[in-house]
Amino acid sequence: MAIPGYHGRVLDIDLSTGNIKSGALTPEDILLYLGGRGLATKLFFDRMEPAADPLGPDNVIIIASSPLVGSQAPTAIWGYMVFKSPLTGYLGGCNLGGNWGRAFKASGYDAIIINGCARQPVFIDLSPEKIEIRHASHLRGKNISESINLLTSQSPGSRPCQALVIGPAGENLVKYATVASDKYSLYNRGGSGAVFGSKNLKGIRVCGEEKIRISDKARYQASLDQANYLLKQSPITRRLMRELGTAGFVLLARHLNMLPHRNFLDAEPDVEKVKAISGEAIARCYLEKADSCYECPIACLRQTAIKTNDACLRCGQGPEYETVAMMGSACDIYDLDCIIRASYLAGELGLDAVSFGGTVACAMELAEKGYLTSGQSGDLELKFGRSELLEKLVELTAYRRGSGHLLAEGSYRLASACGHPELAMQVKKLEIPGYDPRASYAQALGYMTSPTGACHRRGGYAASLSLLGGNKGIPRFSLFQSPITIRNLQNTGIIQDSLGVCYVTGFAFGVEPWSRIVSSITGYDFSAARLEEIANRVASLERLFNLQAGLNPEEEGLLPSRFAEIPIMSEGKPRAISRENMLQMCRDYYRARGWNGNGRPGDSYLKAMKVEPKKAES
Amino acid sequence: MARQKWSADEDIFKLFHSIGHASLLSDIQDSHSGNMAMRWKNAQGKEVIVITATGSQKGDLEPRDLCYLSPVEIDSGYYQASSETDIHVKILSLPGAQASMHAHVKELVMATLDDQPAPKTPPPFIPVDPLAFYHLGPEIPVDWFAVPSGSPEMAKTIPARLKDHPLTVIYGHGAMTRGRTLKETFFNLCLASNAGYIVRLIERQIRSTRVKRHALKTPEKQEKNLPPEAPLPVGQCPELEDLRSKMKAAPESYFHFCPAPYNPDIENRCDFPEEEEIIKEFRRAGNRLFESRLSPFHTGSMSVRGVDYLFYAPQASMPYEVGAPLLKLPLAPEPGDDVELLLHKKIYAESDFQTLIHAYVPEAEAHAHLIYPGEEAPIEKIIPVDAEGSFMYLVIPVLPPKVAEDQLITSLSDYKVAVVRGGGVWAAGGLSLSEALHHPSSLREICLYRLAAVERGLDLRKMEPEKAKKW
Repeated sequence: MAIPGYHGRVLDIDLSTGNIKSGALTPEDILLYLGGRGLATKLFFDRMEPAADPLGPDNVIIIASSPLVGSQAPTAIWGYMVFKSPLTGYLGGCNLGGNWGRAFKASGYDAIIINGCARQPVFIDLSPEKIEIRHASHLRGKNISESINLLTSQSPGSRPCQALVIGPAGENLVKYATVASDKYSLYNRGGSGAVFGSKNLKGIRVCGEEKIRISDKARYQASLDQANYLLKQSPITRRLMRELGTAGFVLLARHLNMLPHRNFLDAEPDVEKVKAISGEAIARCYLEKADSCYECPIACLRQTAIKTNDACLRCGQGPEYETVAMMGSACDIYDLDCIIRASYLAGELGLDAVSFGGTVACAMELAEKGYLTSGQSGDLELKFGRSELLEKLVELTAYRRGSGHLLAEGSYRLASACGHPELAMQVKKLEIPGYDPRASYAQALGYMTSPTGACHRRGGYAASLSLLGGNKGIPRFSLFQSPITIRNLQNTGIIQDSLGVCYVTGFAFGVEPWSRIVSSITGYDFSAARLEEIANRVASLERLFNLQAGLNPEEEGLLPSRFAEIPIMSEGKPRAISRENMLQMCRDYYRARGWNGNGRPGDSYLKAMKVEPKKAES
Repeated sequence: MARQKWSADEDIFKLFHSIGHASLLSDIQDSHSGNMAMRWKNAQGKEVIVITATGSQKGDLEPRDLCYLSPVEIDSGYYQASSETDIHVKILSLPGAQASMHAHVKELVMATLDDQPAPKTPPPFIPVDPLAFYHLGPEIPVDWFAVPSGSPEMAKTIPARLKDHPLTVIYGHGAMTRGRTLKETFFNLCLASNAGYIVRLIERQIRSTRVKRHALKTPEKQEKNLPPEAPLPVGQCPELEDLRSKMKAAPESYFHFCPAPYNPDIENRCDFPEEEEIIKEFRRAGNRLFESRLSPFHTGSMSVRGVDYLFYAPQASMPYEVGAPLLKLPLAPEPGDDVELLLHKKIYAESDFQTLIHAYVPEAEAHAHLIYPGEEAPIEKIIPVDAEGSFMYLVIPVLPPKVAEDQLITSLSDYKVAVVRGGGVWAAGGLSLSEALHHPSSLREICLYRLAAVERGLDLRKMEPEKAKKW
């Protein structure tokens, strides 16, 4: 019998051969890697050839669920996906809320492994009766909501089901294409959609009613009560998120000089203009209602609509903070109508709004400086502030038409093609999200050491502590404290991703309540210290993969020179991060992790961590 | 010799002002009580005694409230200086005594009151907390005086007491202490106040549960045909005396460790001036520890760890105005590290915490000695009975004085905060000092509610949530 909280089964699908196997999940994998991100990383590391082409048949996609998913634990509905990123060439990893994660867990599997490449568009159909690889030609070219509607409305036996799909961007191998469910819940960063597209995999449909067992119901209930109480106590999880969504961070970030402006040339967009794209403005003019992932008490999602004279022109979800920051102020655009329209379309076509916004901002700067030729820009007169171009650029990018072909490659390849790679605001070719690293040294280090490139979630969400950290507020400009801070924040993120819970809960409480919940569900002692140990193990495995995939930390692991050369003002002082300080923080971080000075986990460390070293040596 | 001046030197005035203000915040003075004195070399290199003026408000001193006197002869300044000037002058003639201070340490005065007829010879005060026990000694003298304010009798007895003790109690009045610095004298007085408070809390706790214990034991006694327990005379608390005698006999069994001696030589040291934000955090947390009485002045410790070093405040409880040393030390253990510092290092070596605070929360120290009626041993966990506390912490472990380091670290990993009976409160933060600070602060409230429940004769075990008892 499987450990409570798990089904104990892993599904292995080879799209090239059509072979489908169901295997057992080993207790060792569970105890060492927990679930979600940890489990997915372990399964990926065991199977993936680091040098393989991310868009070739040998790339492996792992989607894993967690022991808390399927329980009543608040926000425990997230799934995690790992793959080799076509944008970065290194580890790709992202999570997804909405309803899909829970539906997948109810299918009776803890993880799904997908490799190979189908000859024609297919989708995977996962139901209690059977598992099939089915033709998806009828879905080709369809956008996200159409694809989901088609799949879910034709489910076998008309049972409720959920679908995970790609849009045209994924089919067209846009390097930052997303995979989506519930219309706009996204596996959004690193190009998972392109990997799906490269495998001719249009989507996955799941239905099922498998439930998990709970080991100690009394303890489980007591720990749930505590977690729910703490969520209700925090003004962030109780009110801010519900009332303003993540876009509620916009003005807060501006006040800390953290909101990017003009491709990170500075961090001081005009406050009055920023107010026009703030969470408050969205709530005032566009919000229909607060929405949530499955049974989530926080309800940070936004159901919005663009109306004229009370007639709804378009409706959708969002925009989130990142969308506003990257399609808005980073491009010097403050027309909320345009941002929302572009956001809706990016969601429908399957584009990561962060990378798209960052790439457009880069293109605007290249164009203004005369580095982007008219041929490359497709005769679009790109420049900062041209809000009317946003929606058009989304479409061009998703379909790789005109200038969209270069934009679809991401900022680094775009800027390199123009001869100025330094103008791409990225780390490991992944676009920097909406928090200026000069405004938080810990966040800067997080971008540099994130296993997936400049991702605030995988890198450690230090910026959030500056915005709303409460008693976890950390010094923003401390070279001394940042390495440990980032290690700990990354570990918290790994634990959350491995438990399948939302990062927003971190505003209300830390790891301890989760430790109690997962221990009561599984019947195993997952103490806080043990969860930290798992996080350290997962971080080391992620690092190993990247090193095996050819990562040169000093070449690709640092912030662009702009952040060293152009200071921003913050708290009355000019703030920049010199290359020397970047390197020093990275080296300190490596040692904080127990790795060597070059950022490589040593053999003795791996042995202590119970990480199988033979793969590392191969 | 004539009074030299009435406009104080800026530095010396700041020192007196800050200590005076802090003493008022510590509630060891009333608006005008007490006095402070120290030996000081003035700008001309001449040694003088600086002392607060009689009737001055110690919490809000003005430059004119400091008197500068000759240490060897009487001048007119004596008549404007404290009424206890003679005592201070004699104390300051003791070897090593550079400063002296008198305060109305109410908690200690209350803890030493008795109803014996005067004249009397009160017994020494025996502290039951590690700070007072080790810093002030296992027996603090208490003297009754016919004229207990500025009398020749006091000027004779008190300096003699302070030859052998850092602090002495004036029955029904307050305490006097000597030190190498003014800060050290204030430190001593704060420890004395804290010690009195803890003893009084424990005594109240024992008295409040005694009725229940008596009732519980009665059936057993009846069954075994034992005589009923005799009612206790008012004013006596044999359980407390029993605890005191055992502690005196074997302190190492009752206290976690002997705190490092007060170090006046590192008073204003700051090893990391470039880290302005962290300094601010230290000062903020330190001030809160002090003002909220989470740890007596300059006691406890706190740290922020880096990769190779830690920033360490060995005198954590610090009012803003007074401050405390902030050190940068290697994370690796070094010869000469005291027990407390080594414990910080050990915890960091075996955990991912970024911050630690060790505080001597008096309510937790006292409450850790609670023995439930019908039980023989003190409590092993504190279960909050208030709404906020019970959701923040299902339980808070209470570890025995001789707890192994590993057990303390495990407890911190699981609960982020742990009480060591006879050893203060340890709290950890994953990221910030503020995070760690929240724990002792919450714990104090939790203990206050529980202590109040005990004092009101309520049955704590009925109030403790069932779910928490499982953790």
